[in-house]
Amino acid sequence: FLGAGGGNDIQWCFSQVKGAVDDDVAEADIISTVEFNHSGELLATGDKGGRVVIFQQEQENKTQSHSRGEYNVYSTFQSHEPEFDYLKSLEIEEKINKIRWLPQKNAAQFLLSTNDKTIKLWKISERDKRPEGYNLKEEDGRYRDPTTVTTLRVPVFRPMDLMVEASPRRIFANAHTYHINSISINSDYETYLSADDLRINLWHLEITDRSFNIVDIKPANMEELTEVITAAEFHPNSCNTFVYSSSKGTIRLCDMRASALCDRHSKLFEEPEDPSNRSFFSEIISSISDVKFSHSGRYMMTRDYLSVKIWDLNMENRPVETYQVHEYLRSKLCSLYENDCIFDKFECCWNGSDRQVIFHGTVTLFLPPLCSIVMTGSYNNFFRMFDRNTKRDITLEASRENNKPRTVLKPRKVCASGKRKKDEISVDSLDFNKKILHTAWHPKENIIAVATTNNLYIFQDKMN
Amino acid sequence: MLGKGGKRKFDEHEDGLEGKVVSPTDGPSKVSYTLQRQTIFNISLMKLYNHRPLTEPSLQKTVLINNMLRRIQEELKQEGSLRPVFVTASQPADPLGDSFREAPPAFSHLASPPLLPADLVSTTPLESCLTPASLLEDDTFCTSPPPVPHDGPTKPPPPALQPVKDSFSSALDEIEELCPAPTSAEAVAAETAAGDAKAHPSESSVQKPEGLPESRTAESKLMDSLPGNFEITTSTGFLTDLTLDDILFADIDTSMYDFDPCTSATGAASKMAPVSADELLKTLAPYSSQPVTPNQPFKMDLTELDHIMEVLVGS
Repeated sequence: FLGAGGGNDIQWCFSQVKGAVDDDVAEADIISTVEFNHSGELLATGDKGGRVVIFQQEQENKTQSHSRGEYNVYSTFQSHEPEFDYLKSLEIEEKINKIRWLPQKNAAQFLLSTNDKTIKLWKISERDKRPEGYNLKEEDGRYRDPTTVTTLRVPVFRPMDLMVEASPRRIFANAHTYHINSISINSDYETYLSADDLRINLWHLEITDRSFNIVDIKPANMEELTEVITAAEFHPNSCNTFVYSSSKGTIRLCDMRASALCDRHSKLFEEPEDPSNRSFFSEIISSISDVKFSHSGRYMMTRDYLSVKIWDLNMENRPVETYQVHEYLRSKLCSLYENDCIFDKFECCWNGSDRQVIFHGTVTLFLPPLCSIVMTGSYNNFFRMFDRNTKRDITLEASRENNKPRTVLKPRKVCASGKRKKDEISVDSLDFNKKILHTAWHPKENIIAVATTNNLYIFQDKMN
Repeated sequence: MLGKGGKRKFDEHEDGLEGKVVSPTDGPSKVSYTLQRQTIFNISLMKLYNHRPLTEPSLQKTVLINNMLRRIQEELKQEGSLRPVFVTASQPADPLGDSFREAPPAFSHLASPPLLPADLVSTTPLESCLTPASLLEDDTFCTSPPPVPHDGPTKPPPPALQPVKDSFSSALDEIEELCPAPTSAEAVAAETAAGDAKAHPSESSVQKPEGLPESRTAESKLMDSLPGNFEITTSTGFLTDLTLDDILFADIDTSMYDFDPCTSATGAASKMAPVSADELLKTLAPYSSQPVTPNQPFKMDLTELDHIMEVLVGS
């Protein structure tokens, strides 16, 4: 447990790495999304080839008290196929943009996966028994000659090797003209939203032939378009509230009770531009690539190109905290614009909900979880964590080298300018092809999943 | 000739920029600011016209690049700059003749599979055509054997050989831009002509998206219409003295275009583009209603241009 106000700094250790070893990355293997389910037992990844791979955590072994369960492949399925839009003569990529898990209601697991145009609801179910002893069929399925049947028996279920099946239960199609960038399940667990560049639609999980448009920022004249929607999310507790971020660095909070079409926001979050930092690229680097509510819903976090910002929902005019992810890139923006890196969309995530426990005399209080650490990716396979309480930050690297299980990761440091100290890496030697865009934090434990281009790294905190 | 530090008449204009916001990567002089701005303008144009044709381009990226172009154009307008933003470094000796041949791919690429991906991938690195961004900054990020720009399975097609196409389109655009639409009958006529004739991709695709062939998709229309939009918004307060005639038919010193910078003895090929523009500016600076008498004439007949474009693109 973390005591109130945060505990010791977490020491991260390498646990596992999944994916091909060779440097030659097959394009289809590029990981495009990573998401834990609500219990943390399952970890899903989506890739550019339209596949979903789900890993399952081993049940904790009493004898292996020094580490938490490992994640092993549980299910792999092809979620989306490439399609062709005949009207526009363009391919529709099968790349999985987002995966979101539904909370578990029965034995099966459900998740939503989406590419640019179509959202699918997948049911993942286990089969570990099968019926045996049919009267009219042999075990291999061949029909028996009825004349050979002399007795009747009742078929019984016998155990079999575990089989995990994924089947598409709903396909939500033809509702988006532009590319879907976000899906978010409502706290009512009945509806969800999907957002593309210009519109946000509201769906009911049971109904596929109809969706309601709740935000539309498409101008009448497309030539006047200067701003697009970049991310959207439902409030974790308030089922009528959602936010969406834009390419101009603004976040709008909308209340669906106000009107059917939420074009007028209830709140607009925007930080005034810092004149001393103004450049040609100010707008581009202000574009928000991810927005995430804290577990309580009191705060939200946004990621733009150079920083992570924490916003208090009660304060619209500026964030309450700002963390610089890789400020040393500010002087390189022109090059990063030239090679398109400036358009990379980094995601961010909160730490899992470590319960806050307070001991007061004979009373033990379990308080709502604290969101105290934020994590986000950078280049050179580096990723960063910021502790909101201690104000300390750390840079770690996801790399196969020097990573033995249970060895604490060595902090990394980038040298912005001047003399490079030993073990520091200069900005010019950063590999901008090695970007960590997707990270996820286990909802309950200190386990994190970090995706490099085509590998998935799992790190855990060092258990004493 | 190449502006090796000689004082330029443009300085007066530059002084007016003193209070302006300056890029953090700016050197002490305004030259590097305008240099960077021009580079960014060139890069932005190239990005818009160079993308994988198979899938739809990212709308967010397109919008951001377009906003960048608009902003720069806005700045240029506010400065009252007479300097067209030329990308001319890799132009052959006859800028117009060869440009005509090169231009069509830039604008027909959305109607048909583009020429550029495999065919036009040249070994000429970006640096020899434009001022590499890295020269404006501390890093050697782009010029040193980079892991980023030209490697990797996910890289976009290298933006090679775009400068020529875009220099022509930029040139034409800037010439159009210099003429305020309401005050020039010729410009209005030109634009109308451009809008009507579908086989004028350089003007129509950039300025009048409606005039494009029907096979264009909605998204590609957007893409082209976005830069077109900012091309059209020439303000009336901008160079009201000038008419299209003044610019097109006046004699302008283009002596700097008459040699191939890539084979130039100076070796600083990558610095040609901005310097050329500055040089051009020098000749244009005393521009009023009096045409400048340069060393070599620069004549272009608009109807002749239309005709050539028709031949190249249309049929």
